[in-house]
Amino acid sequence: MRTALTLLIALGAVLALSLTACKKEDNSAGTSGVTDDTVKIGLFVSTTGDYATFGGDTKNGVDLAVEEINAAGGINGKKIDLKFQDTASKPEEGGSAAVKLATQENVLVAMGAVASGISLSAAPVFQKNGIPMISPSSTNPTVTQQGDQIFRICFLDDFQGAACAVFARKDLKKEKAAILMNQDDAYSTGLGKFFKAKFEKLGGKVVAEESFKAKTSEFNTQITNIKNANPDIIFVPAYYNDVALIGKQFRSQGVDVPLLGGDGWESGKLIPNAGPGTLDGCYFGNHYSQADDREVVKNFVANYKKKYGEAPSSLAALGYDDVYVAKKAIENAGAFDRAKIREALANLKDFEGVTGKFSIDENRNARKPISMLKIEGEKFNLVRQIQPGEVE
Amino acid sequence: MGRMIGILVVSLAVVLGVNWFLDSYIDQYVVRVINMCGISIILAVSLNVINGLCGQFSLGHAGFMAIGAYVSAWFTTTLRYFDEAQAKYVAIEPMFSSQWGFVPALIVGGIAAAIAGAVVGIPTLRLKGDYLAIATLGFGEIVTIMITNFETIGGANGLPGLPAYSNTFWIFAFVVIVVMFSWYLQRSTFGRALIAIRENELAAEVMGISASRMKVMAFIYGAFFAGIAGGLLGHLLQTISPATFNFMKSIEVVVMLVLGGLGSMTGAIVGAIVLTALPEALRDVESEIGLVGVRMVAYALVLILLMIFRPQGIFGQKELSLKLLGRLIPGRKSGNAGGEE
Repeated sequence: MRTALTLLIALGAVLALSLTACKKEDNSAGTSGVTDDTVKIGLFVSTTGDYATFGGDTKNGVDLAVEEINAAGGINGKKIDLKFQDTASKPEEGGSAAVKLATQENVLVAMGAVASGISLSAAPVFQKNGIPMISPSSTNPTVTQQGDQIFRICFLDDFQGAACAVFARKDLKKEKAAILMNQDDAYSTGLGKFFKAKFEKLGGKVVAEESFKAKTSEFNTQITNIKNANPDIIFVPAYYNDVALIGKQFRSQGVDVPLLGGDGWESGKLIPNAGPGTLDGCYFGNHYSQADDREVVKNFVANYKKKYGEAPSSLAALGYDDVYVAKKAIENAGAFDRAKIREALANLKDFEGVTGKFSIDENRNARKPISMLKIEGEKFNLVRQIQPGEVE
Repeated sequence: MGRMIGILVVSLAVVLGVNWFLDSYIDQYVVRVINMCGISIILAVSLNVINGLCGQFSLGHAGFMAIGAYVSAWFTTTLRYFDEAQAKYVAIEPMFSSQWGFVPALIVGGIAAAIAGAVVGIPTLRLKGDYLAIATLGFGEIVTIMITNFETIGGANGLPGLPAYSNTFWIFAFVVIVVMFSWYLQRSTFGRALIAIRENELAAEVMGISASRMKVMAFIYGAFFAGIAGGLLGHLLQTISPATFNFMKSIEVVVMLVLGGLGSMTGAIVGAIVLTALPEALRDVESEIGLVGVRMVAYALVLILLMIFRPQGIFGQKELSLKLLGRLIPGRKSGNAGGEE
């Protein structure tokens, strides 16, 4: 009995102690996060854990953009004070990071996260606190459905999957598709689902649908099944590390049908991992193409290479665009006021970014083209851009 | 019994007061960390009954959490899923659409997890040590795979849009309940039987303890509260996904126990608080230094150092009591600090 009581008292004491240090701040004013010469912008991505490479690239892109903007005098005369929080690839930490940015740091606008699961746990926090959140690359459709403060600047899995189907059916004139997807990954199953729906709607036939478990390295059963179904295109909505293995195993089983995939393929490691020639003649959809000759892309690629010594990935490009979207919205709003910034974001039209020219639609998603790339040797060459209008 | 109810009522009133205080005066971020600590305490204390008291090494706690989280969400959340036949999103309205449905939903989630606990408990009749750990790990995997392939509850995408019902009051109400129950359990015939099984199963059987029944009971008890914790976490984060409940989550809880001292409830509580609050406290250090990843390195370092210098955990198998505190204060005899009993 005594010990039970002691425990409860100790618990209470710990609670009380941890509280005295921190007082609640009043952040009801819409202009918070702004001082005379700085404006606080939050960034939460995973720089540790499973998504560390994605988060790291995004952060590099963001850092580059912030550096450029601050060197050019900031936003309406105020320098960006970037507040970064790591989400450790865990939704719980994403939630905590969001609360920290929203309340203690009191940022004007928040950017993040890459993984949809983490964006989903952060979104309710920013929604509740009335802070606009712009996700650079969370593709799960439900992310922006969490509230009217939540925006994203990448295309969605349904568009991406459907665009790949349009590309396979109309550009490549393929009739029989096989799908090989990662059953543990929402991104992969989502793309597979939307590809199938569109491909069949366009008169094609899905002859085989196979899936594998995350972290598998052996795909022989699935490949044999797909081989027996005799498709003329194989849709592999997976990440580059899986794609490299899958490509190799398809080729060693004598299947030389082109593979097609989504933005998960994009990586400097895809070709080295798969081996030279393995993926020649395969296609994938991506957010941008480094070979794009628009001025903004050229500048970005050159500056990024100078700063980090490597070619920027799509995630870096999206992180970079994210900061400029925030800047543009604040400028359009004409004030450092969250409600006005939210309006400006919702009405953003024809934004010229690295990842294409885009507008924000009524569901707070970006309406933008996808670049279909063809793998030729070490190069990813742009075949064409598919506009949203072609897919609907 | 009467006294137990009395303590329960008083502590719930205290929790209610604390909840009001936190809501009105304290930074939301600190409240969030406190709430996460509360959920970790429920998890660690309930796992302590299986791993610490009964000595059955289980890695299935995340699986029980997942069941509790998804079952409770089933009752409180509007389910939207993509219907292949109609090729559009379909919505199912929740059964309990108000805050009043939260506790019933949590309890149902806990019961579902407890049933799973009974199912998992049965192989423990044959398996021990590492083999049991692997079997429970397998159970956790089965749960996440089943959720992944269940489109109605979001599949691999996870289930967003859970109502924000969890707050400090509910979380700490369950902390109080699990701590009190586990405390009484530890001193009851049942608890003593569990300890006897841990120390020597054969000897316990000889003394007339039905080891198989006791082990299954321990699993049911632990799983019930893990399910409650899962439901609380889901309604705090407002989104759940199979990836949240992977085996790393189970390992995190085991680490909390080992850090605090396997078999000590106080240890479980301290371990839960330290391992939940530490990474958060280190956030400021990280932004101060500006070196990404320092947080996780420091976290790992604490674990390594502790295991080198205090392999039995912070508390070993001891409990914190006024007696222990009394002994620390010079000039006082031990034992007369606590008053009655």
